[in-house]
Amino acid sequence: MIVIVDSKIANLGSVIAAFRRLGETVSVSDDPDTVVAADALVLPGVGAFGDGMESLRRRGLDLAIHSAVQAGKPILGICLGMQLLAEESEEFGVHEGLGLIPGRIVKLVSKPGERVPNIGWCDVRPTRPSVLFRQTSSGTAFYFVHSYHFLCADQNDAVAAIDFGHAPVTVAVERKNIFGVQFHPEKSQDAGLGVLESFVTHIKKGADHVA
Amino acid sequence: MLPDSDAPVLGAVRPRLIPCLLLKHGLIMRSQLFKVHQAIGNPMSTVERYSQWNVDELVVLDISRDEDFHDLRRDDLQQNYQGKSALDVLRAIAEVCFMPLTFGGRIRSLDDIAERLTAGADKVTLNTVAIQDPDFIAQAARRFGSQCIVVSIDVRRQTNGYEVWGDGGRMPTGRKPEDWAQEVERLGAGEILLNSIDRDGSGLGYDVELIRLVAEAVTIPVVALGGVGRYEHFPSAISQGHASAMSAANIFHFFELSYSHAKQACLDVGLPVRPVGLGSRFLLREQLYDRKKEDARIQARLERAKAADYSKSHAVGRAEKQTVRWCSKCVYPGISAAPMEFDGQGVCSGCRMAEMKEQIHSSEWTRRGELLREIVDRYRCRDGSRYDCVIAVSGGKDSYFQTHVIKNELKLNPLLVTYNGNNWTEVGWRNMLHMKEAFDVDHLLISPSVTVLKKLNRLAFTVMGDMNWHAHIGIMTAPMRVAVQYGIPLVFYGEHGYLDLCGQFSMDDFPEVAYRNRLEHYGRGYEWTYFVDREGLTARNLIPWQYPTDQQIFDVGLRGVFLGNYLPWEANEHIKLVVDRYGFETSSEPFDRTYRTMSNLDDMHENGVHDYLKYIKFGYGRCTDHACKDIRAGLLNRDQAVELVNRYDPVKPRDLRRWLEYVGMSEEAFDRIADTFRDPRVWTMANGRWQRQELQKRIE
Repeated sequence: MIVIVDSKIANLGSVIAAFRRLGETVSVSDDPDTVVAADALVLPGVGAFGDGMESLRRRGLDLAIHSAVQAGKPILGICLGMQLLAEESEEFGVHEGLGLIPGRIVKLVSKPGERVPNIGWCDVRPTRPSVLFRQTSSGTAFYFVHSYHFLCADQNDAVAAIDFGHAPVTVAVERKNIFGVQFHPEKSQDAGLGVLESFVTHIKKGADHVA
Repeated sequence: MLPDSDAPVLGAVRPRLIPCLLLKHGLIMRSQLFKVHQAIGNPMSTVERYSQWNVDELVVLDISRDEDFHDLRRDDLQQNYQGKSALDVLRAIAEVCFMPLTFGGRIRSLDDIAERLTAGADKVTLNTVAIQDPDFIAQAARRFGSQCIVVSIDVRRQTNGYEVWGDGGRMPTGRKPEDWAQEVERLGAGEILLNSIDRDGSGLGYDVELIRLVAEAVTIPVVALGGVGRYEHFPSAISQGHASAMSAANIFHFFELSYSHAKQACLDVGLPVRPVGLGSRFLLREQLYDRKKEDARIQARLERAKAADYSKSHAVGRAEKQTVRWCSKCVYPGISAAPMEFDGQGVCSGCRMAEMKEQIHSSEWTRRGELLREIVDRYRCRDGSRYDCVIAVSGGKDSYFQTHVIKNELKLNPLLVTYNGNNWTEVGWRNMLHMKEAFDVDHLLISPSVTVLKKLNRLAFTVMGDMNWHAHIGIMTAPMRVAVQYGIPLVFYGEHGYLDLCGQFSMDDFPEVAYRNRLEHYGRGYEWTYFVDREGLTARNLIPWQYPTDQQIFDVGLRGVFLGNYLPWEANEHIKLVVDRYGFETSSEPFDRTYRTMSNLDDMHENGVHDYLKYIKFGYGRCTDHACKDIRAGLLNRDQAVELVNRYDPVKPRDLRRWLEYVGMSEEAFDRIADTFRDPRVWTMANGRWQRQELQKRIE
């Protein structure tokens, strides 16, 4: 069972609807035991980084996520959920993250004609072969709402980028069983549902492998 | 290249094209000048279509004043939700909406916002509340973040410049749009939805001057709305108005693949919008029904019919409170098979549209004739390699008239296509076969297997209380399918019935054949896929009812045009013409259920038992349809109409016998199943008899 971690900081409805559309049953939980026992986790989130981490810690969900990940369970962070995978963020002061992927969260720097927050459909370019973008052609647009972005310590963890400001900005990360996307796959029509489908396929392959 | 060298710098974000849906009492509305509202239909079928077209984003504005008339319960429709309020609609929309969704209307408090975000909205629009209490914008932005607070600004052009209006265009504010835009940005709004009241529903194009005035006053994105009448209008909002997004409402309702064509028009002038999308891998156009749920529904109906249990006739929401209300001018009831709106004087949108049509000046018909010639010239085949067009014909007087115009006046080489539903009257059959001689044209009949037809008759009667699903969908499918197969880009139909009957759109809309309309209104939400594996039917039995794919339609550039949008439609004159010149036979035998003799000779059940079922469901029938047309045409007064309606509408027609024998059903079984469809707003059971409120001559 895929468990959507309910950190109380996200509108989970559309994420649930997206998985349902893929024919997957998902459950939503803020219970650490359920999170540890899940086959895979999805960590959505909107809002500020500090609030998001605080909300996870208060319920002991940060530790539960760590245990699940250590046991090899796949996890997909979405938007703020992806940022929470980092070691720290500079949003409204410095905040410690889950530290699952080395790197930090920094503010977007725009060039003329661009706005922060970056809201809208941006073309995503895979930067290396990956699980999530297996069926995505380069230049496919996804829907973003963000003011901060992931700066990976190990470039190999970055799997996709958009061109924003004066340099490519990482918008998707993968490190073993840990996945994250800055955009909203549940709001990115077929392109987004395709990414979620790749994640689901990956989970199932893993399960077959173990069996 | 963009037409304007002064075009704004486009950053990483692609310009958005955003359909806007207006919702009133749970139905989608067409709006003009913020005043005239016409019901288009159920929001779900439209939203699903948008998800199939890879739409960038969706705005839904609830323009209801209250929830009192929110009642979508119709037992004969395949609905995708059962809701009682605008929030229920939002929840249902969110299930099939994999794009950013903005929801607005009647927001007065922070709790209202929270409720809408929880129900599935990504952003909300504030309008009146923001004008009354600007600080509310700041509170909302603080609590929910600027990214989800959109302020919608409605602007009227006055003699001394632009002015912002609140309360759905009813309240002047004395504010200038550019000042108000700056203020809402300062207060924390993340986006502006800018609507021109004057351009609303006009089809004249955006008010580019207004858009630019506001877009240049702020740094937050501006979404332009109001006035688009042609796909080519869209890019101006960005190239000249400097907005971040283009929005429109009406245009998306009336044309097939409207969104895809609009995208293409933007791409054609170099606007870097996301690509045209046709078909989703995840949301199929031909929906798959919840088999278990549907089996249970059918079973429950049959059990109720068997037990003659009509006590709990499924009243939902505020239905219990409602009584039947009739138009004060014609004799239509508010509870009608077709969506309908009443205005402040209690006059229905059908009457209002008929008045408008009546006032159309002859010079306007000349202009429309020119538009028709333009269409014809564009699609005429130059080298004789294909037919110029398809004409969908039933062999009735309208078919003759259409073919007369298209073949003999416009000089096209048409292919006539007829759906043969096997319900012909003798005269109707002769008229249909006579067409190819009368007009010297090629004529193709699509005649489905009679075994399959019988199954569909039975099934559709049981499922939706209408045996003629096969005919309604067949007529809207066979000619389109043939056109795609023969590579013919143009199909002609006659009149668009919903303009005449219920005034669903304006005369300026020129609606064309579209899949949404076919499925929602002709098919009641039931696609052919519903019947697969029922009574042993398979997909291969149902080919005549399978519509061409979106890709096929787009590739051929197929358009289904209603001739009635371009020509004055004088039924009585048509009769004379087609009888005298082409040997059309009129019927000497009157119908059981109407005083008119001319309609539906191609299908004996259409004016018979099919129509009787409309009476069973809603308490009115074909005589009401005809009497309303005749009142509007000045041929009947209302009192005469009331008499006719009360005499003809309740008649149980003689063709029922044929139908029962045809499908093998007893009259008792028929009556009992039919009774399960009675609308509780119309019918009550008292002393073992069905009773309804009867139409009265005088309206207080």
